[in-house]
Amino acid sequence: MTTALHETAVLETSGLTVAYPGHRAVLRDVDLEVAPGERVLLLGPSGSGKSTLLRVLAGVVPQLVDADVAGRVLVGGRDTTATSPADLARDVGTLGQDPADQLCLPTVADEVAFPLENRAWPVAAIDAAVDRALARVGAAHLRHRRTADLSGGEGQRVALAATLVADPRLLLLDEPTALLDPAAARAVGRLLHVDGAAQVLVEHRLDEVVDLPPRTLVLGADGRLVVDGPTREVLHDEAAHLATLGVRLPGASLEPPPARAVPAGAPALSARGLAVRRGGREVLRGVDLDVRPGRVTAVVGLNGSGKSTLLLALAGLLPHAGTVTGGSVGVVFQRPEQQFLTRRVHDEVAWGPRRAGRRAGRRGVRRPGPGRRGAGGAGAGVRDPDAVAADALAAVHLAHLADRDPFRLSGGQQRRLSVAAAAVCGHDVLLADEPTFGQDARTGGATAALLRSLADEGRGLVVVTHDLALVAAVADEVVVLRDGRVLAHAPTHALLGPDADPRVMVAAGLVEGTRLRAAGHRVPA
Amino acid sequence: MSARRGLTLADLVLLAVLAVVFGFLYWALVQAWGALQLAMGPFGDLAQHVLAGGWMIAAPLATYIVRKPFVGIVVEIVAAFVEVAFLASPVGPMLLLVGFVQGAGAELPFALTRYRRYGWGVFVASGVSAGLASVALGAVRFGWLQQDWFAWRLGLTVVSSVLLCGLLARVLGDALARTGVLDNTALGRARRVGAAAAERPHDEVPVA
Amino acid sequence: MSGAPRFGRALEHDSVLHRRNPTVKLVVLLVVSTVLLVPVDVATPLLVGLLLVPAGAAAGRLPVRTLTRAALAFAPFALSILAVNAVTRDGPVVARVAGMEVTGTGLTVGTSLALRTLVVGLLAFVLTATTDGPRLMTSLHQHARLPAHVTYAVLAGYRVLEGLPEAWTTIRRAQAVRDPGRRRGAPLPRDPASLARAAFALLVGALRQGERLATSLQLRGLGSGPRTVHRPVPLGPADAVLAASALGTCALVVLVTWRLGWLLTWGTLAG
Ligand SMILES: Nc1ncnc2c1ncn2[C@@H]1O[C@H](COP(=O)(O)OP(=O)(O)OP(=O)(O)O)[C@@H](O)[C@H]1O
Ligand SMILES: Nc1ncnc2c1ncn2[C@@H]1O[C@H](COP(=O)(O)OP(=O)(O)OP(=O)(O)O)[C@@H](O)[C@H]1O
Ligand SMILES: [Mg+2]
Ligand SMILES: [Mg+2]
Repeated sequence: MTTALHETAVLETSGLTVAYPGHRAVLRDVDLEVAPGERVLLLGPSGSGKSTLLRVLAGVVPQLVDADVAGRVLVGGRDTTATSPADLARDVGTLGQDPADQLCLPTVADEVAFPLENRAWPVAAIDAAVDRALARVGAAHLRHRRTADLSGGEGQRVALAATLVADPRLLLLDEPTALLDPAAARAVGRLLHVDGAAQVLVEHRLDEVVDLPPRTLVLGADGRLVVDGPTREVLHDEAAHLATLGVRLPGASLEPPPARAVPAGAPALSARGLAVRRGGREVLRGVDLDVRPGRVTAVVGLNGSGKSTLLLALAGLLPHAGTVTGGSVGVVFQRPEQQFLTRRVHDEVAWGPRRAGRRAGRRGVRRPGPGRRGAGGAGAGVRDPDAVAADALAAVHLAHLADRDPFRLSGGQQRRLSVAAAAVCGHDVLLADEPTFGQDARTGGATAALLRSLADEGRGLVVVTHDLALVAAVADEVVVLRDGRVLAHAPTHALLGPDADPRVMVAAGLVEGTRLRAAGHRVPA
Repeated sequence: MSARRGLTLADLVLLAVLAVVFGFLYWALVQAWGALQLAMGPFGDLAQHVLAGGWMIAAPLATYIVRKPFVGIVVEIVAAFVEVAFLASPVGPMLLLVGFVQGAGAELPFALTRYRRYGWGVFVASGVSAGLASVALGAVRFGWLQQDWFAWRLGLTVVSSVLLCGLLARVLGDALARTGVLDNTALGRARRVGAAAAERPHDEVPVA
Repeated sequence: MSGAPRFGRALEHDSVLHRRNPTVKLVVLLVVSTVLLVPVDVATPLLVGLLLVPAGAAAGRLPVRTLTRAALAFAPFALSILAVNAVTRDGPVVARVAGMEVTGTGLTVGTSLALRTLVVGLLAFVLTATTDGPRLMTSLHQHARLPAHVTYAVLAGYRVLEGLPEAWTTIRRAQAVRDPGRRRGAPLPRDPASLARAAFALLVGALRQGERLATSLQLRGLGSGPRTVHRPVPLGPADAVLAASALGTCALVVLVTWRLGWLLTWGTLAG
């Protein structure tokens, strides 16, 4: 039954088909073999089943998450649909994208020791192993910290240490750098290459992970494996095919938009000497910023540099020193789930316009309210909220989900819903925190287009992001924050183009190979 | 099926999370409650019965979701433990006993149906029995029987328990199930079976 | 000082009480508060409080101010118990307040129950101020044979709890700014519907995080067989001394008030 080849494979699937209950199959007929020590990159558009495949390999699907699984899956010679995930964990280490979901214990030392305790290691050996694992990921200094106090990048390193500490033969890595700034992503990305361990890596940020696995698999939108080959060849020869699938490619068109003239007239929002204290520390100081109608300002900077804090302060949601003056402000928050108000996708988008309509009805006014400017502000009060919502949903590719519960959408879909819901409220200024997080090239493009169209309608936009494709696509100007101060503020092409100041680039978290390329300067994959 | 195999780790974490979230919300409520209670003088003590049911909602909700024996008791004890060890409740470890009694009270009607029936009636019964258990324990701790207002205490608590503990648990459980977070629980599975029986799913039937 | 509450964390200094076994401390407190269920006279809870609270505060090196602040937090509850008992119990009427009869029995029982609340509350505060919640869990796992599944489920719950205050404010803010008519800097809405929506979103997020944490625990090998404990919580003779002296004090007080005829119970009160 098993050939010699099968015995040597650390991972093997044949005819693997997976369907979540009540839905059509997300993976179909996947045949895959990975040799011991072999590293594999797994690509595919959002929703193609990449995470599902990793969850099947870890035994999570179908044992902890209900699904119908057909076909054969062997990891280390064991059937993952019948071996408990805890037992499989002796061979398999798993790392996901959000440290908040993976750090289970109160302190870093406990967290990293936990896998060893569960393998009944002798107590005397555990301490040394914990030290080694933390040192390996550059986190030795975090040993005595509480997991709740770690930043995103620190948390991701600790989670990685806990994954590596027991020397797994197979690593399953699901977007392990998703929440990190480019510099931290690059640092963590470099650590992912572990000698001797086979790995399957799902990663969208091909620019930052320098040391890509030599072999690449691509899942199509229907959940079939469509490409399997050497990474270098796949990324070059299949580039057009991958682009039609919606997969993000390294070094893809990062071309700054044509410079627009700064419109005359008063800024829509104006901050002077903005300073914020959080947790007894000054995390934002001396920030001056003008948000002009019709322009998109991108805010970039390392994790913890104060980007989200700046948005909250601009929106008047945090006590701050300094002044902010201007019109009404809408906000798209970093975590979409936290802003949902209703139990239906359509109602979620219609909520703002309905409320505006009711308010206008009460006041008996048809004209734009005080502080409203331009056609956009007036429009919201006039058009039928349901029509507004339907249009907005179509613009972000969500029309087919109008009747779903918002909480039941995928992460990427929730992100787009939250952007659409904030976009239709008719605010003078929209502040968006990482609006394209979790999107593939196609849906990311749709979100960017929506944001750009808002600006073109005459609103001011501030967009916080780690996503350079977005900066290149929509931003007129860029603010680089470091340690709560504005390090630089200039038009996009001037700041991030090929002649940029390296000091600013590093502060923005951008490194060689990720800066904007003037046309013609392509870095080979 | 695994239904008879006792509580899994996923069940236990779910119970702990319910305990923690309700514990946190109560904690936030109590921060505002003290001053109000003082302002009401003697009636402050009586007013607690208006909210009495709300303190017990975790038990019927957890039973509705997990559908295994002892879930209601376990979740209330964990909630009490969380309040004692993490939220510094002034009631002290006595809360563990309170949790046990209230959880047992709320769970009893479900146990009588052998964890098979989850109609509105069972939730009303759960509220009534939780309320009675809670008053009985209070009578022992604070000597309510020898006080004038016993009928008021009993009446308010039972009404509050039916509304805020029994019926609200069912409403909340259904709302949570609609969001998909309970898909991998007994409640989520039961709803899928129900939906499949009612109509064919819109999507293509799963391949398998 | 200000900022998010630090749930389940001991005060940061070190003390004799900080170093005692958490399970022992919990059991002692459980026994003391159970014993205090019996008396309804003033002397017994007062004496227990006068002996144990200062002793606990000294052993835990708790500042008087901190202790006072804790007592003030429990005071409304205690006072309202006193008030309601004063006017709702049969017995000789000693005064009339706002049309209600205050009885001697009511005053005695009310004061006793209020004192009990304060004493138990303060002792519970001494426990939490000197005990790390997660260490208590580990200790229960080790010394009270609490199963690993239960222990780590509660610890996962603790991780969720630590994130709740921040999640709550973020949700409130995120929902508030969805209102197109909201002015910059306006206070967050406090109507019941807004609060209920925020609570629901909080619950959904916590349940989802919990499900993922449960998965993570298993992917780290929890439940794959026998396990070791890397940082054991010590249990030693000093813990026995603590238990013996606290419980001994409590027993002695009850014995003394009983012999002096001061001790009242629900039984003697009715009879
Ligand atoms: N528990 C579940 N129940 C039902 N459907 C699910 C569940 N988990 C995922 N899905 C659906 O299965 C499909 C594949 O999801 P999966 O998370 O594997 O995609 P992915 O390729 O990892 O996408 P992304 O790049 O956005 O992370 C999606 O359409 C998703 O909505
Ligand atoms: N609620 C809070 N209490 C105390 N400190 C906080 C709080 N929120 C954020 N901080 C701190 O303020 C600083 C700025 O945080 P902020 O969230 O603005 O960073 P960011 O630039 O948005 O980071 P990221 O890219 O990770 O989202 C960080 O050092 C963070 O630790
Ligand atoms: Mg995924
Ligand atoms: Mg941020």
